[in-house]
Amino acid sequence: MAETKVAPKTIRVEVKRQATPETAAFVEKFEFPYRSGMNITSLLGEIAMAPVTTEGKQTTAVTYDSNCLEEICGSCAMLITGKARMACSALVDKLMAETKDGVISLAPLTKFPVVRDLAVDRSVLFENLKKVQAWVPIDGSYDLGPGPRQFPQIQEERYPLSNCISCTICMEVCPQFNEATGFVGAATIAQAKLFNMDPAGAVLKEERLRALAGDGGIQECGFAQNCVQACPKQLPLTEAISDMGRDVFVQQVKDFFAR
Amino acid sequence: MASVAAPAPPSNQHPIKGVQPLRAGEGNSFVLRRLHSLTGIVPIGAFLVEHIISNIEIVHGPLAYAQQVKFLNGLPLVRVLEWAFIFIPLAFHALYGVYIAIKGRPNVNVYPWAGNWMYLSQRVTGILALAYIIQHLYFQRFTGVSLPEHPGLAYWKVQYELSNPLMVAVYVIGMVVTCWHFAYGVWLFAAKWGITPGDRARKKFGWVCGVFGTVLCAAGLWSIIAIVNAPAVPFEDVMPAQQPGVMAPTVPVQNESQQQPPLTQQQ
Ligand code: HEM
Ligand code: SF4
Ligand code: FES
Repeated sequence: MAETKVAPKTIRVEVKRQATPETAAFVEKFEFPYRSGMNITSLLGEIAMAPVTTEGKQTTAVTYDSNCLEEICGSCAMLITGKARMACSALVDKLMAETKDGVISLAPLTKFPVVRDLAVDRSVLFENLKKVQAWVPIDGSYDLGPGPRQFPQIQEERYPLSNCISCTICMEVCPQFNEATGFVGAATIAQAKLFNMDPAGAVLKEERLRALAGDGGIQECGFAQNCVQACPKQLPLTEAISDMGRDVFVQQVKDFFAR
Repeated sequence: MASVAAPAPPSNQHPIKGVQPLRAGEGNSFVLRRLHSLTGIVPIGAFLVEHIISNIEIVHGPLAYAQQVKFLNGLPLVRVLEWAFIFIPLAFHALYGVYIAIKGRPNVNVYPWAGNWMYLSQRVTGILALAYIIQHLYFQRFTGVSLPEHPGLAYWKVQYELSNPLMVAVYVIGMVVTCWHFAYGVWLFAAKWGITPGDRARKKFGWVCGVFGTVLCAAGLWSIIAIVNAPAVPFEDVMPAQQPGVMAPTVPVQNESQQQPPLTQQQ
């Protein structure tokens, strides 16, 4: 009988930590008896139960954002073995095979201000979504009645875009998303397309397209296509950027002649 | 249906640290960026194609090449054309390109994916092309014997430049990076302007651009190889004292010495 792969005895983790936004970062190492089928959030839970470093030093539980634990709330994005992914869907067994020395490193996302440990402030995405009015304006003081009919073809095109969980991974991995460009990032562009395609949301279409032509807008995209590779929800981001690139341009031309 | 947007809730964070939110309705980087994109195709890209095709005349020898140079320099308002459609757009594309390149934060070390490499390559080839173009313009256009005035010395000038193996290397690298930059640039243009939004369209067009770039580069390298391997020509104007607008025949007529006016010494 073929020999099965020997399971490692322990799981080793290195966590980049930071007590406050202002203080310096440091690394703490942890080691736990191996258990199969873990993910990064359960690993962080394990640390929280017994926050003692490999050197035996008593420490605090690691702070991180999480909520749904099933890759649907978008809060647990972090750098896992150097790459941006969702902690709750990152499987420890796979990660240990991926790294050379079997040590799993955890660090906060690099493009957002650290709040504490692995928790970062991603409110820039919320601000961006507000700038493009990524919603359907149906709030009113009276009953607006039923919404307009939405054809299944439109629904099918919109559905993948509606899967965005605002995790900001597409922004983290983008070489153009940085403080020099202030690029809006793929997620916001995709959401603008989602709501432009909504029969009721389309009322704000022109305003969304104008917003995306502002500094830091869609023009900053350099088509490195990392967003579409890294997006945990497989949004068709490059397609959305291409489509919106055309729409934004057409809107600018129209405005140039008509406004 | 509501026709007015509900007001956005006020920001709960003043001011935001790190990457700043979209500056909706502010600035003119959209126009500049689209202009950068467009100038890459027309006029610069179109000129690159023209330049490489014209240079194939090198294969037909000094006189054919001289005629090509004379023809181009005989275009109406050629100096205006040169500045309006080559130098100024090129300077804009190159300088704004450097500005764009500086602002990017390449991360292929972390995310070694094909598109990410191409993103980096567009910046690297752009900067290499700029270095190449500066030396090329300096040595071939603005110093040495003036080819607009002496097209008959064009072949000699290029061949003399390429008698230095180091310059051959510079020209080969310059050709490869420029064609690479332009071919991928065409692909980028189609992607950004929404001409190829679909994944499959972009993939197919990638092949088209790849073949196009390879053919363009091969044509350019062909001219380089031809003039490097051709027997060295002497420093002699093969098309002296041409009347403006008059073309010498490609194949010199038999009793050439009788028909041509005596060689005038160029100052
Ligand atoms: C030989 C002449 C050149 C040609 C034919 C050319 C052509 C192009 C084309 C067609 C594009 C695609 C436009 C787009 O991104 O939508 C492009 C992009 C670019 N070019 Fe050039 N280019 C040339 C020289 C340069 C130079 C000298 C630089 C200086 C560094 C440069 C830097 C860039 C950059 C950074 C981009 C990418 C812009 C982005 O991805 O957003 N180019 N070029
Ligand atoms: S588009 Fe994808 S990567 Fe970007 S925020 Fe939404 S789910 Fe995350
Ligand atoms: S905890 Fe909700 S996405 Fe990971």
